[in-house]
Amino acid sequence: MFDFFNQSEVIKTIVVLGSMALFFVGLFGLLTRKHIIRIFMSIAIMESSVFLLFIGLSFKSDFIAPIIDKTHKNIAIMNDPIPQAMILTAIVIAMAVLALGVSFAIEYYKLTGRTDIDEMKSLRY
Amino acid sequence: MSLKRSLSTVGISGFALSALLVLTVLNIIIQNIPRNIQTAGGELLKLNEKDGVANAVTTVVVYFRGFDTLGEIAVLFIASLGVGLMLHVKCQKDIKRESNFMLQTASRYLFPVILLFGIYIMVYGHLSPGGGFQGGVVIASGVLLLLISHKKFEVPYSVIVTLETLAGVSYVFIGLIGLMVLDTFLGNFIPQDVSQMGMLISGGIIPVIYIIVGIKVGSEMSHIAQNLIQRADYV
Amino acid sequence: MSSVLFVALPLLFGFATPLLSRLGKDAVAYASVAMQLFLLCLSFYLLESVSLHVEIISIAPPLGISFVLNSVSLLFVTVFIFLTTLFSFYCLSHRETGSYENETKFLILLNMLLASSAGLVLSSDIFNIYVFFEIAGISAYILSAYRKTPSALEAGLKYLLTGAVASVFLVFAIVLIYLNIGSLNLAVIAQSFEALPFNVKLLISILLFIGFGFKVEIFPLNFWVTDVYQGSSSLVNALFSGIVAKAYLFVFFHIVYLFLPDGDFSAFLIYLGAVSMLVAEIAGLKQTNLKRLFAYSSLGQVALIFTAFALQNEDAVQGALFIVIAHSFAKLIIFLVLAFIEKEYESIHIDILKELNAPFLRAVLLIAMLSLLGIPLFAGFVGKLLVLKSLAVSGMLGVLVMIVIASLFEAVYYFKLAGYMFSKGERRGALHVGFIQKSVFALLVILLIVIGVAPFILSGFLGEASRVMLDSANYITVILGG
Repeated sequence: MFDFFNQSEVIKTIVVLGSMALFFVGLFGLLTRKHIIRIFMSIAIMESSVFLLFIGLSFKSDFIAPIIDKTHKNIAIMNDPIPQAMILTAIVIAMAVLALGVSFAIEYYKLTGRTDIDEMKSLRY
Repeated sequence: MSLKRSLSTVGISGFALSALLVLTVLNIIIQNIPRNIQTAGGELLKLNEKDGVANAVTTVVVYFRGFDTLGEIAVLFIASLGVGLMLHVKCQKDIKRESNFMLQTASRYLFPVILLFGIYIMVYGHLSPGGGFQGGVVIASGVLLLLISHKKFEVPYSVIVTLETLAGVSYVFIGLIGLMVLDTFLGNFIPQDVSQMGMLISGGIIPVIYIIVGIKVGSEMSHIAQNLIQRADYV
Repeated sequence: MSSVLFVALPLLFGFATPLLSRLGKDAVAYASVAMQLFLLCLSFYLLESVSLHVEIISIAPPLGISFVLNSVSLLFVTVFIFLTTLFSFYCLSHRETGSYENETKFLILLNMLLASSAGLVLSSDIFNIYVFFEIAGISAYILSAYRKTPSALEAGLKYLLTGAVASVFLVFAIVLIYLNIGSLNLAVIAQSFEALPFNVKLLISILLFIGFGFKVEIFPLNFWVTDVYQGSSSLVNALFSGIVAKAYLFVFFHIVYLFLPDGDFSAFLIYLGAVSMLVAEIAGLKQTNLKRLFAYSSLGQVALIFTAFALQNEDAVQGALFIVIAHSFAKLIIFLVLAFIEKEYESIHIDILKELNAPFLRAVLLIAMLSLLGIPLFAGFVGKLLVLKSLAVSGMLGVLVMIVIASLFEAVYYFKLAGYMFSKGERRGALHVGFIQKSVFALLVILLIVIGVAPFILSGFLGEASRVMLDSANYITVILGG
């Protein structure tokens, strides 16, 4: 039975279904939640799902890690290093933006005591 | 808003989103699973055998796409600047709470180990999985441990500023030296030997840049963590 | 003299500033202006000797990142550096206490904004473009919330939320592009984009459109712009509408011209631009807050530039480039004057114009508004004329009518403002405008008049720039062959 799950098509289907479900959970939270920190969490969930999708779909299970060693020298069976490098960069950038957003929310809460985005209407004309 | 209105909003958006989910998933599955294309990663692995270090991901992050890494540490730098701008409070005496005895004792013993582990990951980043970002984050987590366990601990602002400024400036200087010597920004101007691959000193500028990145990431994440913790009980 | 300096030098300055500020606040401000002047001289020098030039970073394309310096990217870089230099000169004159323009953090953010806008325009690698988007975005969020008042923080939060959501969609699009094409270089993607199956192309296009659409301020996705402009200080608004919006527009259409060279979706984009302009101008009619009013005007002009670029022929793109230059200069003038008024009078309501007692500022504002409207003899006229002519030639009369009606609405509220400014009535005490500020405004006004009266000075260069921007095949050949 486990041989069925080891095929690459099945693994890829599971990865796609899982990360897309996570993406839409995040999108749903973004659209329906009102508390600013919950909105930030939803954005973080959406970003994590995109990263999962990328790494999951570009991973070949019978290939080895792209590190050249005394015993591993065959580059033809090494996994792709570009997605890993891109995701490293993207994770750090996403985290930096979220940290900044949280600090804005903290300062705003200190000044006005509001965390509900429906109440942040002081800029309507 | 009323319960009925909120329920209907939730219901409609849930239904619409799940419909979108099914369509997108089918789209991606149908298009992607049989695809086995020749990506640029294969070419870069071949290039890595001659010009890079043992860990191909490090070569890609630091050398082949070094400009993206420079941009990313610029983002971290600006984020830490912004968090400091927003959350910095002038007179902060006795803001943090006293933590319990276990945490105080254990953190004193754990911190050097975490620090050493972070430095190891940073310095050996080109030979085994790891590198500047990972090592810097581990170091910052050690600092975070000390911040929450000791009431009066604070990394002095001058230390953080000096570390991150020197690291950032030297990264751009290495790029500019590459521009002058090799006519490509961030070119690898330190001569390196392919037979050295797998040794600690190999790969030219790659370990140097990754250590610089590690110092910068560690100091900036510590700064962000410190600012957030010092406002935790003061909001 | 390489084009990487346009990005590397402001980055270097930004990184070095926290330690340099120990030497003194004024030293940093002067150093910043000096560096920007150096970059301005460099860009003029490159303008003399420009040809299509590919600057390699680390390794050669298509495996590595490269900067492509051609007439249109050099034009944008020059405009950005020129505007930033003038802005820095203006800020130098504001050195009393309590003003934040010369604080080191503000200067760092300004330089990061310049570096990332230059990088957006020059880069030829889609992930590198995403990283520059993030640098520009994060600097803009902090600049927006800089004053830490509740409305500024609210503006910063709204900007950050929409920017973060846009980034998620953009990363998703880049992920799908890499999974299906295997490369991150714009030239390689452009070559293989046509051959993709239709639904993958559609999905990638929709994601790119949503991701870029938030930033390019196009109709369904520009709900955040006016709130952000109202909450931020007017100085920062000058930067947003003059530099950041133009860089985003250029990147969007650069990618559209590369990926869809046959103009597949151009009809959709043209109608979308025209509708955005109409909606923005109608909404601007009943505004009483000056910052919000000019934000709607910005939206309208950006939508006009969007429509012009979407037409994808040489005349329209040349007109778009004229409008880019004219709009950037005019909006810089308007928002700097608004910053001056806000600082002196503490009010930004439309009635404050009735009490404005500074003849120089009133004249300058009037000329800037006339240029935005497209009155002949001012710089905005040439661009609008080229765009309308191109619309008439290609037979899209509905769009032409929409743009003309939108311009009429814009004229209505500009003339209302002019009426307030020149009305008879009780005025407050006379305002003293400093020498540096007067010279900055005078320089911009002279440029607007000169371009308006003698557009042939620029039309050769802008015509060549528009040809280069539309010529995707040449761009691809240069990157892959060079």
